[in-house]
Amino acid sequence: MKSLSIAFIIFTLALLGFSTYQGLVAAPTEATMGDVQRIFYYHVPSAWVAGVCFFVNFLASIAYVLKRGSNADALAAASAEVGVVFATIVLITGPIWARPVWGIWWTWDARLTTTLVLWLIYVSYLILRRFAAGGQTQMLAAVLGIFGFVDVPIVYFSIRWFRTQHPSPVMGGGQDSGLAPPILHAFLWNLLAFTLVGIVLVAMRYRLQKMENQVEEAHAQLALEGGAR
Amino acid sequence: MTGPVALKAAYVVTWVIELGYLWYLLGRYRRVRREMKDLKRSS
Repeated sequence: MKSLSIAFIIFTLALLGFSTYQGLVAAPTEATMGDVQRIFYYHVPSAWVAGVCFFVNFLASIAYVLKRGSNADALAAASAEVGVVFATIVLITGPIWARPVWGIWWTWDARLTTTLVLWLIYVSYLILRRFAAGGQTQMLAAVLGIFGFVDVPIVYFSIRWFRTQHPSPVMGGGQDSGLAPPILHAFLWNLLAFTLVGIVLVAMRYRLQKMENQVEEAHAQLALEGGAR
Repeated sequence: MTGPVALKAAYVVTWVIELGYLWYLLGRYRRVRREMKDLKRSS
Protein backbone atom coordinates (compact mmCIF):
# COMPACT_ATOMS: atom_id res chain seq x y z
CA MET A 1 0.00 0.00 0.00
CA LYS A 2 2.83 2.37 0.93
CA SER A 3 4.75 1.66 -2.30
CA LEU A 4 1.53 2.20 -4.28
CA SER A 5 1.09 5.61 -2.62
CA ILE A 6 4.70 6.57 -3.39
CA ALA A 7 4.25 5.46 -7.03
CA PHE A 8 1.08 7.58 -7.25
CA ILE A 9 2.88 10.63 -5.84
CA ILE A 10 5.79 10.19 -8.28
CA PHE A 11 3.35 9.82 -11.18
CA THR A 12 1.52 12.98 -10.05
CA LEU A 13 4.78 14.97 -9.85
CA ALA A 14 5.84 13.78 -13.31
CA LEU A 15 2.46 14.70 -14.74
CA LEU A 16 2.65 18.08 -13.02
CA GLY A 17 6.02 18.74 -14.70
CA PHE A 18 4.61 17.72 -18.09
CA SER A 19 1.43 19.79 -17.70
CA THR A 20 3.44 22.84 -16.61
CA TYR A 21 5.52 22.47 -19.78
CA GLN A 22 2.30 22.19 -21.79
CA GLY A 23 0.84 25.33 -20.23
CA LEU A 24 3.91 27.56 -20.21
CA VAL A 25 5.79 26.42 -23.33
CA ALA A 26 3.91 24.09 -25.69
CA ALA A 27 0.54 25.88 -25.77
CA PRO A 28 0.34 28.71 -28.32
CA THR A 29 0.26 32.32 -27.14
CA GLU A 30 -3.31 33.59 -27.14
CA ALA A 31 -3.90 36.33 -29.73
CA THR A 32 -5.66 39.05 -27.70
CA MET A 33 -4.21 38.70 -24.17
CA GLY A 34 -0.74 37.39 -24.95
CA ASP A 35 1.29 35.35 -22.48
CA VAL A 36 -0.74 36.41 -19.43
CA GLN A 37 -3.56 34.15 -20.69
CA ARG A 38 -1.39 31.20 -19.55
CA ILE A 39 -2.58 31.92 -15.99
CA PHE A 40 -5.73 30.16 -17.24
CA TYR A 41 -3.85 26.81 -17.06
CA TYR A 42 -3.67 26.90 -13.28
CA HIS A 43 -6.41 29.39 -12.35
CA VAL A 44 -9.22 27.27 -13.80
CA PRO A 45 -7.89 23.84 -12.67
CA SER A 46 -7.50 25.28 -9.15
CA ALA A 47 -11.14 26.41 -9.22
CA TRP A 48 -12.15 22.92 -10.42
CA VAL A 49 -10.24 21.18 -7.61
CA ALA A 50 -11.71 23.56 -5.01
CA GLY A 51 -15.22 22.83 -6.31
CA VAL A 52 -14.65 19.06 -6.25
CA CYS A 53 -13.22 19.26 -2.71
CA PHE A 54 -16.27 21.20 -1.50
CA PHE A 55 -18.52 18.62 -3.16
CA VAL A 56 -16.65 15.82 -1.34
CA ASN A 57 -17.05 17.81 1.88
CA PHE A 58 -20.80 18.08 1.16
CA LEU A 59 -21.15 14.30 0.63
CA ALA A 60 -19.01 13.46 3.66
CA SER A 61 -21.02 15.92 5.78
CA ILE A 62 -24.27 14.21 4.76
CA ALA A 63 -22.72 10.82 5.56
CA TYR A 64 -21.65 12.12 8.97
CA VAL A 65 -25.11 13.50 9.78
CA LEU A 66 -26.68 10.16 8.83
CA LYS A 67 -24.20 7.73 10.43
CA ARG A 68 -21.91 9.77 12.75
CA GLY A 69 -18.86 7.92 11.44
CA SER A 70 -15.39 9.28 12.23
CA ASN A 71 -14.17 8.42 8.70
CA ALA A 72 -16.80 10.68 7.12
CA ASP A 73 -15.86 13.47 9.51
CA ALA A 74 -12.15 13.07 8.75
CA LEU A 75 -12.86 13.17 5.00
CA ALA A 76 -15.02 16.28 5.45
CA ALA A 77 -12.25 18.04 7.39
CA ALA A 78 -9.58 17.04 4.84
CA SER A 79 -11.55 18.05 1.75
CA ALA A 80 -12.63 21.41 3.20
CA GLU A 81 -9.04 22.36 4.09
CA VAL A 82 -7.63 21.38 0.68
CA GLY A 83 -10.57 23.14 -0.99
CA VAL A 84 -9.70 26.35 0.85
CA VAL A 85 -6.06 26.06 -0.30
CA PHE A 86 -7.12 25.85 -3.96
CA ALA A 87 -9.83 28.53 -3.57
CA THR A 88 -7.12 30.82 -2.14
CA ILE A 89 -5.04 30.24 -5.28
CA VAL A 90 -8.08 31.15 -7.41
CA LEU A 91 -8.72 34.35 -5.45
CA ILE A 92 -5.09 35.48 -5.77
CA THR A 93 -4.31 34.44 -9.36
CA GLY A 94 -7.62 35.92 -10.59
CA PRO A 95 -6.80 39.54 -9.65
CA ILE A 96 -3.21 39.08 -10.89
CA TRP A 97 -4.69 38.07 -14.25
CA ALA A 98 -7.37 40.79 -14.14
CA ARG A 99 -4.99 43.70 -13.59
CA PRO A 100 -3.20 43.63 -17.01
CA VAL A 101 -6.33 42.50 -18.91
CA TRP A 102 -9.18 44.52 -17.31
CA GLY A 103 -7.06 47.32 -15.83
CA ILE A 104 -8.42 46.63 -12.33
CA TRP A 105 -7.53 44.14 -9.60
CA TRP A 106 -11.07 43.46 -8.42
CA THR A 107 -14.70 44.27 -9.12
CA TRP A 108 -17.79 43.29 -7.17
CA ASP A 109 -19.39 41.31 -9.99
CA ALA A 110 -21.41 38.16 -9.35
CA ARG A 111 -18.64 35.61 -10.08
CA LEU A 112 -15.94 37.29 -8.03
CA THR A 113 -18.23 38.13 -5.11
CA THR A 114 -19.78 34.65 -4.85
CA THR A 115 -16.29 33.11 -5.02
CA LEU A 116 -15.12 35.33 -2.16
CA VAL A 117 -18.24 34.38 -0.18
CA LEU A 118 -17.51 30.70 -0.87
CA TRP A 119 -13.97 31.11 0.47
CA LEU A 120 -15.30 32.87 3.58
CA ILE A 121 -17.85 30.08 4.20
CA TYR A 122 -15.17 27.37 4.18
CA VAL A 123 -12.68 29.44 6.18
CA SER A 124 -15.49 29.82 8.75
CA TYR A 125 -15.96 26.04 8.57
CA LEU A 126 -12.27 25.48 9.39
CA ILE A 127 -12.36 28.07 12.21
CA LEU A 128 -15.46 26.36 13.63
CA ARG A 129 -13.69 22.99 13.62
CA ARG A 130 -10.59 24.48 15.23
CA PHE A 131 -12.10 26.60 17.98
CA ALA A 132 -15.64 25.38 18.80
CA ALA A 133 -15.85 23.85 22.27
CA GLY A 134 -18.04 20.93 23.35
CA GLY A 135 -19.03 17.65 21.81
CA GLN A 136 -21.19 19.03 18.98
CA THR A 137 -18.37 20.49 16.86
CA GLN A 138 -18.40 17.74 14.24
CA MET A 139 -22.19 17.90 13.84
CA LEU A 140 -22.17 21.72 13.60
CA ALA A 141 -19.38 21.52 11.02
CA ALA A 142 -21.32 18.92 9.01
CA VAL A 143 -24.42 21.11 8.94
CA LEU A 144 -22.35 24.12 7.88
CA GLY A 145 -20.72 21.95 5.17
CA ILE A 146 -24.14 20.95 3.81
CA PHE A 147 -25.64 24.45 3.76
CA GLY A 148 -22.36 26.10 2.73
CA PHE A 149 -22.22 23.98 -0.40
CA VAL A 150 -25.28 25.85 -1.75
CA ASP A 151 -22.85 28.59 -2.86
CA VAL A 152 -20.87 26.24 -5.17
CA PRO A 153 -23.55 25.98 -7.92
CA ILE A 154 -24.22 29.73 -7.50
CA VAL A 155 -20.53 30.42 -8.24
CA TYR A 156 -20.65 28.09 -11.25
CA PHE A 157 -23.85 29.53 -12.75
CA SER A 158 -23.16 33.19 -11.84
CA ILE A 159 -21.57 33.89 -15.24
CA ARG A 160 -24.61 32.38 -16.94
CA TRP A 161 -27.25 34.09 -14.78
CA PHE A 162 -25.72 37.58 -14.57
CA ARG A 163 -23.83 39.94 -16.84
CA THR A 164 -20.34 39.99 -15.30
CA GLN A 165 -16.90 41.47 -15.83
CA HIS A 166 -15.62 37.91 -15.57
CA PRO A 167 -15.62 36.21 -19.00
CA SER A 168 -18.57 34.08 -20.09
CA PRO A 169 -18.10 30.29 -19.93
CA VAL A 170 -15.40 29.13 -22.36
CA MET A 171 -16.78 25.60 -22.42
CA GLY A 172 -20.43 24.66 -22.67
CA GLY A 173 -21.40 28.31 -22.87
CA GLY A 174 -23.19 28.42 -26.21
CA GLN A 175 -22.31 28.73 -29.90
CA ASP A 176 -19.39 31.15 -29.57
CA SER A 177 -17.76 29.36 -26.66
CA GLY A 178 -15.00 26.76 -26.89
CA LEU A 179 -11.22 26.52 -26.86
CA ALA A 180 -8.82 26.10 -29.77
CA PRO A 181 -7.59 22.46 -29.84
CA PRO A 182 -3.96 23.18 -28.74
CA ILE A 183 -5.18 25.34 -25.85
CA LEU A 184 -7.78 22.72 -24.88
CA HIS A 185 -5.07 20.03 -25.01
CA ALA A 186 -2.78 21.94 -22.59
CA PHE A 187 -5.74 22.80 -20.37
CA LEU A 188 -6.85 19.17 -20.03
CA TRP A 189 -3.33 18.06 -19.03
CA ASN A 190 -3.27 20.74 -16.34
CA LEU A 191 -6.77 19.85 -15.20
CA LEU A 192 -5.71 16.22 -14.76
CA ALA A 193 -2.46 17.13 -12.97
CA PHE A 194 -4.16 19.53 -10.55
CA THR A 195 -6.89 16.95 -9.85
CA LEU A 196 -4.23 14.38 -8.92
CA VAL A 197 -2.44 16.94 -6.70
CA GLY A 198 -5.80 17.56 -4.99
CA ILE A 199 -6.30 13.81 -4.46
CA VAL A 200 -2.78 13.43 -2.98
CA LEU A 201 -3.30 16.37 -0.60
CA VAL A 202 -6.76 15.20 0.53
CA ALA A 203 -5.40 11.66 1.11
CA MET A 204 -2.50 13.04 3.18
CA ARG A 205 -4.75 15.35 5.18
CA TYR A 206 -7.28 12.53 5.74
CA ARG A 207 -4.57 10.23 7.10
CA LEU A 208 -3.29 13.01 9.34
CA GLN A 209 -6.80 13.60 10.71
CA LYS A 210 -7.13 9.89 11.52
CA MET A 211 -3.77 9.91 13.32
CA GLU A 212 -4.72 13.03 15.29
CA ASN A 213 -8.03 11.39 16.28
CA GLN A 214 -6.09 8.33 17.52
CA VAL A 215 -3.79 10.53 19.62
CA GLU A 216 -6.78 12.40 21.04
CA GLU A 217 -8.49 9.10 21.94
CA ALA A 218 -5.30 7.78 23.55
CA HIS A 219 -4.99 10.98 25.63
CA ALA A 220 -8.62 10.62 26.74
CA GLN A 221 -8.04 6.96 27.64
CA LEU A 222 -4.94 7.83 29.67
CA ALA A 223 -6.85 10.58 31.48
CA LEU A 224 -9.65 8.11 32.31
CA GLU A 225 -7.17 5.52 33.60
CA GLY A 226 -5.40 8.21 35.65
CA GLY A 227 -8.72 9.35 37.11
CA ALA A 228 -9.75 5.78 37.99
CA ARG A 229 -6.60 5.18 40.06
CA MET B 1 1.72 45.13 -13.92
CA THR B 2 2.65 43.82 -17.36
CA GLY B 3 1.56 40.46 -18.78
CA PRO B 4 4.83 38.51 -18.33
CA VAL B 5 5.26 39.85 -14.76
CA ALA B 6 1.67 38.87 -13.93
CA LEU B 7 2.22 35.39 -15.37
CA LYS B 8 5.36 34.86 -13.25
CA ALA B 9 3.68 36.31 -10.14
CA ALA B 10 0.62 34.06 -10.49
CA TYR B 11 2.83 31.02 -11.12
CA VAL B 12 4.98 31.76 -8.04
CA VAL B 13 1.90 32.39 -5.86
CA THR B 14 0.36 29.06 -6.92
CA TRP B 15 3.43 27.05 -6.03
CA VAL B 16 4.25 28.95 -2.84
CA ILE B 17 0.73 28.22 -1.56
CA GLU B 18 0.79 24.54 -2.56
CA LEU B 19 4.31 23.87 -1.26
CA GLY B 20 3.59 25.93 1.86
CA TYR B 21 0.55 23.78 2.56
CA LEU B 22 2.55 20.61 1.97
CA TRP B 23 5.21 21.88 4.40
CA TYR B 24 2.49 22.64 6.97
CA LEU B 25 1.05 19.11 6.59
CA LEU B 26 4.48 17.48 6.97
CA GLY B 27 5.09 19.55 10.13
CA ARG B 28 1.80 18.32 11.60
CA TYR B 29 2.72 14.74 10.63
CA ARG B 30 6.02 15.02 12.50
CA ARG B 31 4.27 16.41 15.57
CA VAL B 32 1.58 13.73 15.66
CA ARG B 33 4.15 10.93 15.16
CA ARG B 34 6.20 12.29 18.07
CA GLU B 35 3.06 12.39 20.22
CA MET B 36 2.24 8.79 19.27
CA LYS B 37 5.71 7.67 20.31
CA ASP B 38 5.43 9.52 23.63
CA LEU B 39 2.04 7.92 24.28
CA LYS B 40 3.41 4.44 23.58
CA ARG B 41 6.28 5.07 25.95
CA SER B 42 4.01 6.34 28.72
CA SER B 43 1.41 3.53 28.44
